[in-house]
Amino acid sequence: MAAPSSLARCQLSQTGFLRDLSLLCAHRGILQTQGRSISGGQTFFSARKAPLRKEPEKVEIPGLELVTYADRMHYVPGLNRPKPQKWERDFKDPRYYRSPPPTMMKLYKEKPCYVYNQRSNVLEGVPQAAWLTKTKVIPTLPPQLLSLAESSTDVIPNQEERVQNAIKQARFWDTTETRTPKERYSVTLLHNLLHLCASLQPSHPALSRRILAESYDLGATWTRGDELFQIRGRSGLIHCSMDPLPVISERSEVHSTADHVLETFYPVSPTIDLQKLYVYKENINCTGFLDGCLYPHAHTLYFFEVETQYRLRPEQFRAKMVMFAFGNALARAHKLHGTDPQPLLDRPITVQAVGTNGRIFQFMVFQLNTTDLSGDDGVKNQIWIDEDVELYDFAKVRPLIKKKVVQVPAGLAGYKPEVFRKFLALYLHGAV
Amino acid sequence: MMAVSCLSRALRSLTVSQSALLTSQALARTTLRPPQPSVTVEQCRGFITSASLEQYRSDWKNREKYTVRPIGMKKTGGRDHTGKVRTHGIGGGHKQKYRWIDFQRLRYEPEKKEEPFDEKVVLVRYDPCRSANIALISGGNRKRWIIATENMQAGDIIRTSGVIGRMAVSTKEGDAHPLGALPVGTLVNNLETEPGKGAQYIRAAGTSGVLLRKVNGTAIVQLPSKQQVQVLETCVVTVGRVSNIDHNKKIIGKAGKNRWLGIRPSSGLWQRKGGWAGRKIKPLPPMKSYVNRPSISAN
Repeated sequence: MAAPSSLARCQLSQTGFLRDLSLLCAHRGILQTQGRSISGGQTFFSARKAPLRKEPEKVEIPGLELVTYADRMHYVPGLNRPKPQKWERDFKDPRYYRSPPPTMMKLYKEKPCYVYNQRSNVLEGVPQAAWLTKTKVIPTLPPQLLSLAESSTDVIPNQEERVQNAIKQARFWDTTETRTPKERYSVTLLHNLLHLCASLQPSHPALSRRILAESYDLGATWTRGDELFQIRGRSGLIHCSMDPLPVISERSEVHSTADHVLETFYPVSPTIDLQKLYVYKENINCTGFLDGCLYPHAHTLYFFEVETQYRLRPEQFRAKMVMFAFGNALARAHKLHGTDPQPLLDRPITVQAVGTNGRIFQFMVFQLNTTDLSGDDGVKNQIWIDEDVELYDFAKVRPLIKKKVVQVPAGLAGYKPEVFRKFLALYLHGAV
Repeated sequence: MMAVSCLSRALRSLTVSQSALLTSQALARTTLRPPQPSVTVEQCRGFITSASLEQYRSDWKNREKYTVRPIGMKKTGGRDHTGKVRTHGIGGGHKQKYRWIDFQRLRYEPEKKEEPFDEKVVLVRYDPCRSANIALISGGNRKRWIIATENMQAGDIIRTSGVIGRMAVSTKEGDAHPLGALPVGTLVNNLETEPGKGAQYIRAAGTSGVLLRKVNGTAIVQLPSKQQVQVLETCVVTVGRVSNIDHNKKIIGKAGKNRWLGIRPSSGLWQRKGGWAGRKIKPLPPMKSYVNRPSISAN
């Protein structure tokens, strides 16, 4: 027992010996005695916590006041436990801000809005995105672009060698580590290719009428069926141009899309995996650039499949590309013609999209023919998708060896020049 | 009682050792301001010198909103909330994540009509927390995990219905119906004991029960153990056999593999064989009835 001895020492110190010691001992005295008085109830200090159990419902009878032990300031068996009074600070502290319930917020609406953003992982992929945007999907690139790609064999001097060097730079020479991570080389490779394309400026003066922007915020609103939809967020890089892209399909072809029947995916609802919000701004419509911007037309969007924050599967990634291409076109159409839905645009709006994971490319061309999306009938929008095109087969730091036979040699293998030609065709589209 | 405690408190303030309880600073204060002292000392709260020992071992279970995301689990080692061993033979093993299974198959989507609905199987996969495989199904605006049946594949469309018609329905594997709607002799799994409670029987890999007969608003089902249970005919079951039928043929191979699964060896102490050892011939237990118990409403 330590407590009596310390008490005794304290009594000694009371007599005047050793002032400093008395200080120490007195503290200990208090601690010990309190420890003793509390330790009578073992359970008081036990930190074990029983699993959460549902508490019985408390019945409150109006007009009946509970007798509590609040004024006694200690627990009394038989009396009710006082309700702790909620203390509200009389000053503003942003660290402890509590938002009001959604129904009390200023922007609360009765009707929900389904929001698509850059990390939405829609279950059904491209068919779902096509339903949401009322789009006819065509699984090849349009013929104009294909012929442009065929003709652009040696536009850049030493084209093939320089592209291969760009790939090697991204995959091998960009790091002091043995291997470049995917997050890095996909970005580097795209910038290398864009740099290579931009070297054509002297021969194609229209290329100088463009800018490359990143981290722009997009917002667009539309109704599909009875539901309200919004697309919001930032998708990546964007090529903006002073001149709009030429229209891909002619008027007769646009009219023929009215016969197309959109793919459905019963029993899954098209709104699955979209964020359902009740607090939102109506009529959001923003291209991400100010009104007087010199480069108002979105030319090409560039997407990275491998983001640091989130990852999408290839199908969902393509759906994201479709949605953002559509969102850009819609925001531009709303800017031009107002937000009233128009069954047939006089001049369709074209936006291109390129997605990459550092090896595999996805090319898309979107044409917005109509902004009247509520019904399933009438003219549809169009999208041309060329998916999963491989720029090269392997870029190995070390050779792949199985049973002492080299399966894949080290270095770049299986380079396909026609893929870069497609990339270049999309880049030069509207400038040739 | 109160009087006694008041008296004892008054006496305590008069004891000789009282002054020893005060710090020198408190003493100085008493000399300056005489009326307060003893009260302040007695009501001051003791220091808590230890850190909080509260353990959040079971916090991952306390979720209200359903999610299909894998939930991180914490190992208990067979201990309960007091820290004592409650179940022997648990400990170690590979880290696992919990996938929340929706055992109440007939759960209508909120804000939708209560009528039979279809769902699509998105994927079928292994689940570390049970012997059977699980399937992610989606329909309408939601996704959920269920226990997969034997031949379930991604892309299948399965139906869930709460209707008991005059005729027995022709069933497909993976569909869920009330027992009353099924023909006698159907192989079933995921059996509820009370309507709307969620499946509790026949969930292990490769098992199936048989719907033996339907009597007077109730149905009698033979469990995999050959015991018979009587439940209300509105209890929902899934048609077919639970997936992963070769589970019992898996060879553990070595003692360490059981450790990977989180199973510890038994004690090894020699114990005299008792009644548990040897051949047993005993009659089947009588039929278990869940019919007359009060039913809980579906939430």
